[in-house]
Amino acid sequence: SSNTASSSAGAAGSGDSSAARKNSKRPKYSKFTQQELPACKPILTPGWVISTFLIVSVIFIPLGVISLFASQDVVEIVDRYDTECIPAPARTNKVAYIQGDGDKVCNRDLKVTKRMKQPIYVYYQLENFYQNHRRYVKSRSDSQLRSTKYENQISACKPEDDVGGQPIVPCGLIAWSLFNDTYALSRNNVSLAVNKKGIAWKSDKEHKFGNKVFPKNFQKGNITGGATLDPRIPLSEQEDLIVWMRTAALPTFRKLYGKIESDLEMGDTIHVKLNNNYNTYSFNGKKKLVLSTTSWLGGKNDFLGIAYLTVGGICFILALAFTIMYLVKPRRLGDPSYLSWNRNPGGR
Amino acid sequence: MDPRKSIDKPPHHDPILGVSSRWSVSSKDNKEVTFGDLGSKRIRHGSAGADSEMLSMSQKEIKDEDARLIYINDPDRTNERFEFTGNSIKTAKYSVFTFLPRNLFEQFHRVAYIYFLVIAVLNQLPQLAVFGRGASIMPLAFVLLVSAIKDAYEDFRRHRSDRVENNRLALVFEDHQFREKKWKHIRVGEVIKVQSNQTLPCDMVLLATSDPTGVVYVQTTNLDGESNLKTRYAKQETLLKAADMESFNGFIKCEKPNRNIYGFQANMEIDGRRLSLGPSNIILRGCELKNTAWALGVVVYAGGETKAMLNNSGAPSKRSRLETRMNLEIILLSLFLIVLCTIAAATAAVWLRTHRDDLDTILFYRRKDYSERPGGKNYKYYGWGWEIFFTFFMAVIVYQIMIPISLYISMELVRIGQAYFMTNDDQMYDESSDSSFQCRALNINEDLGQIKYLFSDKTGTLTDNKMEFQCACIEGVDYSDREPADSEHPGYSIEVDGIILKPKMRVRVDPVLLQLTKTGKATEEAKRANEFFLSLAACNTIVPIVSNTSDPNVKLVDYQGESPDEQALVYAAAAYGFLLIERTSGHIVINVRGETQRFNVLGLHEFDSDRKRMSVILGCPDMSVKLFVKGADSSMFGVMDESYGGVIHETKIQLHAYSSDGLRTLVVGMRELNDSEFEQWHSSFEAASTALIGRAGLLRKVAGNIETNLRIVGATAIEDKLQRGVPEAIESLRIAGIKVWVLTGDKQETAISIGFSSRLLTRNMRQIVINSNSLDSCRRSLEEANASIASNDESDNVALIIDGTSLIYVLDNDLEDVLFQVACKCSAILCCRVAPFQKAGIVALVKNRTSDMTLAIGDGANDVSMIQMADVGVGISGQEGRQAVMASDFAMGQFRFLVPLLLVHGHWNYQRMGYMILYNFYRNAVFVLILFWYVLFTCYTLTTAITEWSSVLYSVIYTAIPTIIIGILDKDLGRQTLLDHPQLYGVGQRAEGYSTTLFWYTMIDTIWQSAAIFFIPMFAYWGSTIDTSSLGDLWTIAAVVVVNLHLAMDVIRWNWITHAAIWGSIVAACICVIVIDVIPTLPGYWAIFQVGKTWMFWFCLLAIVVTSLLPRFAIKFLVEYYRPSDVRIAREAEKLGTFRESQPVGVEMNLIQDPPRR
Repeated sequence: SSNTASSSAGAAGSGDSSAARKNSKRPKYSKFTQQELPACKPILTPGWVISTFLIVSVIFIPLGVISLFASQDVVEIVDRYDTECIPAPARTNKVAYIQGDGDKVCNRDLKVTKRMKQPIYVYYQLENFYQNHRRYVKSRSDSQLRSTKYENQISACKPEDDVGGQPIVPCGLIAWSLFNDTYALSRNNVSLAVNKKGIAWKSDKEHKFGNKVFPKNFQKGNITGGATLDPRIPLSEQEDLIVWMRTAALPTFRKLYGKIESDLEMGDTIHVKLNNNYNTYSFNGKKKLVLSTTSWLGGKNDFLGIAYLTVGGICFILALAFTIMYLVKPRRLGDPSYLSWNRNPGGR
Repeated sequence: MDPRKSIDKPPHHDPILGVSSRWSVSSKDNKEVTFGDLGSKRIRHGSAGADSEMLSMSQKEIKDEDARLIYINDPDRTNERFEFTGNSIKTAKYSVFTFLPRNLFEQFHRVAYIYFLVIAVLNQLPQLAVFGRGASIMPLAFVLLVSAIKDAYEDFRRHRSDRVENNRLALVFEDHQFREKKWKHIRVGEVIKVQSNQTLPCDMVLLATSDPTGVVYVQTTNLDGESNLKTRYAKQETLLKAADMESFNGFIKCEKPNRNIYGFQANMEIDGRRLSLGPSNIILRGCELKNTAWALGVVVYAGGETKAMLNNSGAPSKRSRLETRMNLEIILLSLFLIVLCTIAAATAAVWLRTHRDDLDTILFYRRKDYSERPGGKNYKYYGWGWEIFFTFFMAVIVYQIMIPISLYISMELVRIGQAYFMTNDDQMYDESSDSSFQCRALNINEDLGQIKYLFSDKTGTLTDNKMEFQCACIEGVDYSDREPADSEHPGYSIEVDGIILKPKMRVRVDPVLLQLTKTGKATEEAKRANEFFLSLAACNTIVPIVSNTSDPNVKLVDYQGESPDEQALVYAAAAYGFLLIERTSGHIVINVRGETQRFNVLGLHEFDSDRKRMSVILGCPDMSVKLFVKGADSSMFGVMDESYGGVIHETKIQLHAYSSDGLRTLVVGMRELNDSEFEQWHSSFEAASTALIGRAGLLRKVAGNIETNLRIVGATAIEDKLQRGVPEAIESLRIAGIKVWVLTGDKQETAISIGFSSRLLTRNMRQIVINSNSLDSCRRSLEEANASIASNDESDNVALIIDGTSLIYVLDNDLEDVLFQVACKCSAILCCRVAPFQKAGIVALVKNRTSDMTLAIGDGANDVSMIQMADVGVGISGQEGRQAVMASDFAMGQFRFLVPLLLVHGHWNYQRMGYMILYNFYRNAVFVLILFWYVLFTCYTLTTAITEWSSVLYSVIYTAIPTIIIGILDKDLGRQTLLDHPQLYGVGQRAEGYSTTLFWYTMIDTIWQSAAIFFIPMFAYWGSTIDTSSLGDLWTIAAVVVVNLHLAMDVIRWNWITHAAIWGSIVAACICVIVIDVIPTLPGYWAIFQVGKTWMFWFCLLAIVVTSLLPRFAIKFLVEYYRPSDVRIAREAEKLGTFRESQPVGVEMNLIQDPPRR
């Protein structure tokens, strides 16, 4: 061959070759180093794409339908009371009214329009209340809530950290602003029991809020934000606080107030004796009382069902459209004559 | 090596330029005496070196302030002022104490890290503290730690090798005898004895050697990679004195340490006499002593000041085109970031302004802190203006990953991975030189996919630079038949004293000529033939080295020399029975078909570029004195005896035929000297070589005087064989749309014929030859050429051939533009007779006029400027040493490896990197936008529902590994497809893998996907009891799944690593989210389990994934199906096997075949 002259080293060559191979810099051959690992190389063929769209629509449309049904099954009674519960003369300065002393009892009647099976959840809904405000969410001390050892870890709690040098337990703006409207429900003048136990996450009660941590100096500061806590009950049992401390993700949110463990019949009138204490008036926050059943999917919200139906529908239309396009104007896959240099030869 | 290589014209065009012998001369009186008693009667010369340029330079006075003074054998006095470093070397960068500060300092040289640092520092300001301490510092600390560990490990290895090196032993003259001393204790001024096969511990000036003439041979493999032996000389004046070291009294004044390994100038003063020293008198650290029993030298540079250490520099740093392009988009992203931050700050400002009176009573704001003062003081509220200001910078911190700093680190990792695979590519391993591919620059892998112009050197690059003797023309008769390559003819060998000697390399012989030489001196023809081969065997500077083989009776004769042409000639002579077996400074021994003959070398005029020839004067066994001259034809015919006109004419015809075949030709002449001629020459030669001033010129004149009236003996033709696969490679590259320019120092005819054999030129091409001697004619021919192509529009079939003289007029003139225009229309350009500086000039000419990428490939010192000038420089680690490799970005063994390098690896790297950049922009922007949308629902404060740890880990763990793996491993097309269809390379040339348009499409998709991820759960959970942490976890997991599935949708080849990376990342993200949520002191405790129990969570996730990826999926399919790119079609064809139906256009690279010759 061409390199006889360069490499034929005569008789000597064969002797050294094995030693030479050992020291050779030749890269070790493997499928990995040569980038030849066995691989699957899928390509998007019309068949694949159309069946993908069909499969998606076949899955999504039924899911959308059952989501909508689930949402429709939920019965909920929503009563906005923030304005109604202020006597008409005081409505010009709602903030002054809510900050003022005196009894702020308010009576509301709720009509049950559809049979509600127990358990019926009682929620309060706040709107335009930014529990996710940066100043607010940071103002808490999780270690303090767990154990008395960390009672003094209040640096994050400002401006509601201590009273006269004594740490507040639980400290911080979140705890301080604990919701303090109360509802007393009755049906046909018989009071309706609202179970306030078991409304918080079990994990929170067991691990996050200590059963030896008792409220201290709470709401003893210069201004009172919201509810007070019974200093004899440990935090792990203060379920309203635990629920409140799970800050809401969005400015419109519900918090569980309690559960009614009996069915409500259609046509029942629920009388609510309401203590309107919580100040949402300085930022136009709305307050609503909500009685609602739940479905397996959650509360009443048609959005997900509609979204599923829409996406499923679009996929179905796309599948149809692609099928038509494929039948009308197909392209042979991998036809070398489509290559740019084969289409216009010479124009490299 | 001699320095002319880098100063002069390229070594290739003058076939024997490489010759740089400095044989000294023994006088005529003792031409018959044997080697042993040469000493007494021999005439000593001041210097054997007649190295023209360097000599005159070294005689210049070295200024005192630029000099260092070395007292020979008096290290104490030499080092009196402690100005010279000792010989211990330290390549390690750090010590235990300096490691932390120095390493940190070096790491922060990168802009990316400074950005990290600034953000981290901003975050430490209490007003701006968005993240906790840990989370804000972690990414930076992680990167710093990884790099520091890597650096520490490398430095540890350097420490270890330093220690080994420093503790080696050398013989140093101390206390009247030579003693062993550790290398690190050697000082400047000491005298050292080095023995055969030892490595030199430092740079030293030779004082004496075991050879009475002061010659040593060194091998400089460690220094410049050249494995042939080089000769160095001790000065005659010091030779004698060295026997008695005690009395050595003198000093050397030499230049300050520098990194030029081919230059050295100094003066030595010894016993009041001044001598000048040049590069041939110094031997350098790292060289190995060969073929010489011992050598004595005085240390002039030690340790870190040695030339070898000064040359230990890293690879050049370049920045890839893609990265430069990418910076534009980075700026766009910065603007985008500023816009987002401004929106956040402005909306916050509006909210604060409208609620300014209620801030104290808003339960979730509570401006005042009443605990210290009854009236309360503002808590974390610094006034409206400041709040806006702080919000803006907090937004910068929260949205910091919009600028994908991790991209830079990922790119580095990806390039390392790509380099690993390029280096390990079996198809780029060169067996003959045992060298695999080298990636010296790590920043420009992807540039390899965008090359449009290729500039190639010829000799050693397109050709092997392994010369093969092809034809002989003796007395005007051509002998060019050769036995077939695979003949069983064992090659020439001869038995001397019971030992069979064999030349190492077999040469195919012409049977007629062989027969003729065997007949001895019977006929006139045979006599001429014998003379011819004798002159080939004698007129050179080759050193024969006899080495043992496995068979004790057989020894191999290996010819070492600096000129491959001479090697070829000597091997040829050996094949015809003229075996050169010994060379000392005074004589040579040639075995002529079994009869050992000894010739005294009376004089040697080495090659210089003015004369373009060399000559020897030999005292023959028959007591006659003969002059043998060989040289380039142009210089030889002028000094021939006119009376042989007929032969000269015949020879000229043959020579023309040879050179049109692409062969390199030499002409050999000789004449017998009579006594008076010799005496006259001898005295003038003595005078010239002892002259102190203008020695080189005088010697040249002496040579010129004697080299006259020669009788023509013959001519030789040597083939500079094309490297394997070169024609196929050039064809592939041309089909790939790369314009190939060949720049060579060869003659025009040689260059054109090489052009044909390498398929650069084809028969149906029109050749435009520009061969002008003046600016005007050059302009005229260029403009004519321009016009003629324009009118014919035959751009594919025009070749431009331009020579060096014309280029002189073109470069640095307004003609550059015209040449560029012409060149653009030609498909092949051949520049011949080009000087090294012109090579760089041509590259610059193209580079400055186009935005297309240029690549230069070369193997010699003369290509260095071109390699450095081009966007991508490739060095061939070939016969001509390592300088080209040292200057290059990539180095490889063979020209043909360019094809897999560019068409396969370049294509892959470009595609991978382009996609990776776009994907990284997308991946980070999606996350930032999710954070941004949330800000619109948090009262315009920078709350993040996603935990801060997830924000930090997102770009480090959740999504980083798949993109790196894909960037290293994914292949859009198989190797064979890319090689078969070089046109696919156009993807990179047209920059289809990454462009601003693609960037905008990606960004639109990003906005859609982020909106789908954010708003679907938001509407689904609006007015529900969902808490921040749960929703944050949903967003985190949704983002990770979508981003990874997006990547999965674009992966082309799924192997197990890809699967592991993508699905593993999603699993890893889930695990991280779970781990974060089992820490009870974080607000999000147990959130993921609470929310994961609900159907809502999974319905949202499914809806998010499908909705966000739907548009991309549909559009991707539509585009690929109805507007398929070449790559897409090729991919389909590759999978469905439809390529087999059509004829492959490219060339199988593994073909082992002789390059076809005309």
